[in-house]
Amino acid sequence: MRPFDFPDVTAGELDNGLGLRVSRLARLPLTTVSLVLDAGETEVDPPSAGLAVLTGDALEGGTEARSGTELAEALEGIGATLALSTGWDATTASVSCLADRLDEALALLAEVTLRPSFPTQEIDRLKAQRLAAIQQRAMNPSSLAADVANELIYAEGSTYGRPLGGTTESVEAITVDAARDLVSRRYRPGSAGLVAVGDLDAAEVEEMALRHFGGWSGRSAGGVMPEPSARSTDRRIVIVDRPEAVQSEIRMGHIGLPKASEDYFALLVFNMILGGSFTSRLNLNLRERNGFTYGVRSRFAFRRAAGPFSVSTAVQTEVSAAAVRETLHELEALVESGPTEDETQAARDYIAGVFPLRLETTGQIAARIAELIVYDLSDDYHAHYRDRIRAVTKQDALEAGRRAVRPDELTIVVVGAAEKIRGPLEELDVGPVLVR
Amino acid sequence: MSARRSAIDIPVERYSLENGLKVNISVDRTVPVVAVNLWYGVGSRNERPGRTGFAHLFEHMMFQGSANVPKNRHFELIERAGGSLNATTWFDRTNYFETVPSHQLDLALWLESDRMGWMLPAMTQEKLDNQRDVVMNEKRERYDNQPYGDWDEWIQKMVFPESHPYHHTVIGSMEDLEAATLEDVAEFFRTYYVPNNAVLTLCGDVNPTKALQAVERYFGEIPAGDAIPPLPGTPTLDPVIGETRREVVRAKVPLPRVLLAFRTPPFTDDAFYTADVASSVLGMGKASRLYRSLVREKRVAKDVVSYVFPLTTGAGMLLVWATGLPGDDPETLETYLDEELAGLGSVSRAEADRAVTLTEARLVRGIEQAGERADLLSMYDQFFDDPGRLNEEVDRLRAVTPGDISEFADRYLGSDNRAALVYVPEDST
Repeated sequence: MRPFDFPDVTAGELDNGLGLRVSRLARLPLTTVSLVLDAGETEVDPPSAGLAVLTGDALEGGTEARSGTELAEALEGIGATLALSTGWDATTASVSCLADRLDEALALLAEVTLRPSFPTQEIDRLKAQRLAAIQQRAMNPSSLAADVANELIYAEGSTYGRPLGGTTESVEAITVDAARDLVSRRYRPGSAGLVAVGDLDAAEVEEMALRHFGGWSGRSAGGVMPEPSARSTDRRIVIVDRPEAVQSEIRMGHIGLPKASEDYFALLVFNMILGGSFTSRLNLNLRERNGFTYGVRSRFAFRRAAGPFSVSTAVQTEVSAAAVRETLHELEALVESGPTEDETQAARDYIAGVFPLRLETTGQIAARIAELIVYDLSDDYHAHYRDRIRAVTKQDALEAGRRAVRPDELTIVVVGAAEKIRGPLEELDVGPVLVR
Repeated sequence: MSARRSAIDIPVERYSLENGLKVNISVDRTVPVVAVNLWYGVGSRNERPGRTGFAHLFEHMMFQGSANVPKNRHFELIERAGGSLNATTWFDRTNYFETVPSHQLDLALWLESDRMGWMLPAMTQEKLDNQRDVVMNEKRERYDNQPYGDWDEWIQKMVFPESHPYHHTVIGSMEDLEAATLEDVAEFFRTYYVPNNAVLTLCGDVNPTKALQAVERYFGEIPAGDAIPPLPGTPTLDPVIGETRREVVRAKVPLPRVLLAFRTPPFTDDAFYTADVASSVLGMGKASRLYRSLVREKRVAKDVVSYVFPLTTGAGMLLVWATGLPGDDPETLETYLDEELAGLGSVSRAEADRAVTLTEARLVRGIEQAGERADLLSMYDQFFDDPGRLNEEVDRLRAVTPGDISEFADRYLGSDNRAALVYVPEDST
């Protein structure tokens, strides 16, 4: 058995506070460079929901020197791909390119993130696209179920109760000035990091970073970290009526835990056994024993503040109530009796074993290293990741699972044909059934 | 664009066993993982009438156990070994793959060989009924319960005649899934799941001599099957559709969407590469013509897509689509799409270069993963009898000239070769 070590990372910092993390991986002549900005949606006030996402997307709308199309041509002409992605906890601007184009790609990355021009018509275009996407989410059973579940899990007006990209009302209110203001407050080197992975040299990257990002200054003003609270701790079923549905999209969840939770590793093991893999208890029951569904998953969304825990599946209309019953049964059984020694071993082996498999590409490694910046983790975090998974005992998993999963507090959302599923769901007698 | 070294130079050694199994080994010892990839030369195109969807249902049955492997143990053993796995079914093939830590190579080979050689003893009616339910739910989840979920059913019907193997979708019909029997499973297995209809590729941290010995040990005693029977129906067809076919679907969709599909030369024809570059000029990246015109400048589309299907049986397909913004008129969308298609008569060298450079960058990023490298090597072996062709793909794309694109557009993107599918939101007037 050949050992696996997380790729070596050279850490440094520019005078302006911009953190540098460089990892050499010379298998192919490729590089990925990510600028990680402290500008996620978690710290955006609810009335401005979607502002961080839209601002991040609008970076490709043009710069002081180039229009959006000119920018795309400059990037694509050198075979570089720019990916702009804003999540709850960060905005990440990444370029991937062949190694001999790194300097040009970094110059473009700096131009896009430090000198965006936010033309009014580009902001308007992105708003129109976002509003259309919101309409699409409302007619797609899967995203509709997820959005309604989050809305009902969290107290009214909560950050995590809204969709990441915002609501129709909040998106309509976004202005060019608001985007500029967000950039000036939160796109700052003192709280940002530059991660470079690939066929490159750490000293050269530092020299390039200084040239392209050295003139930048300041520290993110941040926003207010939300303190999530539940809308209700009473289990209930909410049906979203879709009379033409041939399947029911089911979400069962409640508030989970933040990324910094001490139970993080134990919960990864617990969740793997519950619904995190093909051979999880939920999938073997709902799919492989009963044929109710193509698949079922459970997951904790670990964020800076407590994201949701949820079980998600899509089942044929006729078995909607049976699927809810079986899911509750599996949750209760695992929380009550805990996993077996053998299941715990299998989950540990799987999580520890696939860890290196998901570090094959420069993009995957860069994303892992970016986590260190976003969640303020120690530089040796990945080196010890597998040991920390292997240290989780059956008892650890059970205790963490009991603290984190509360079957009698679940909000159960079923998007489906109310006329057919309401009666059977009421007969389950697991909580009040409402149709909305 | 100046000449420079190609970024793609994947080593590959070819072997074959006496039973006809083709074996490719590509060594890369930088990461201690190995990808095991098996392509069977069977897909939805091989399905007989009344059994659409069966190749995919059969793929599910391959995880239900074999002589020495109980139901779901395949998944369990690979997950416990710290590996990942899956399988997919497509028009022309079915692939099965695992990526595992390199010291677990034997486990993956043993599991794949047990089901290639000895699947049938484990088959039961109960397992078939269970996976039939699972697949029917897959169809509901991914197609029937999704806005626009029936687009490929419409498009395939319009682009390929009823007698052609691409006329029906990979997922098939509920009625045909319902009709599948255990005897179908046995017959399909004996006909298509034979070593002489498969390519096995190993990519990653392996010692080629030892790996080949292991392949021989696990797969060597599986007997060769009969020659693969000819495809059902009529696999040859005219190079163009012969007319414009049009369907307007009023459905519960949030936004209007226009899809235009065209027959192209098949993947196995050199002219396919022209279709590929033309498609990239149209829709790959944000400097592409469709994005620039419909999304950025005219602001009539929320998103645009252009894509070629690398199919091998008689024809391939080019598909473009645009999703409108709320209240947009689909006719306007189609007019703008038409303008851009017509504009392919004047593509500059620089534009074609940009498209190829972007394709190359994507390809290189794809092959960073051993699993993707293995899958591509299997594909080029299966379709071209030449796995090393992967290393020449970018050169083939680079050889496409603006003149080729103009000719291609003239011949294949006209009104005599068009399937137009228009989705209109049901509640719009």
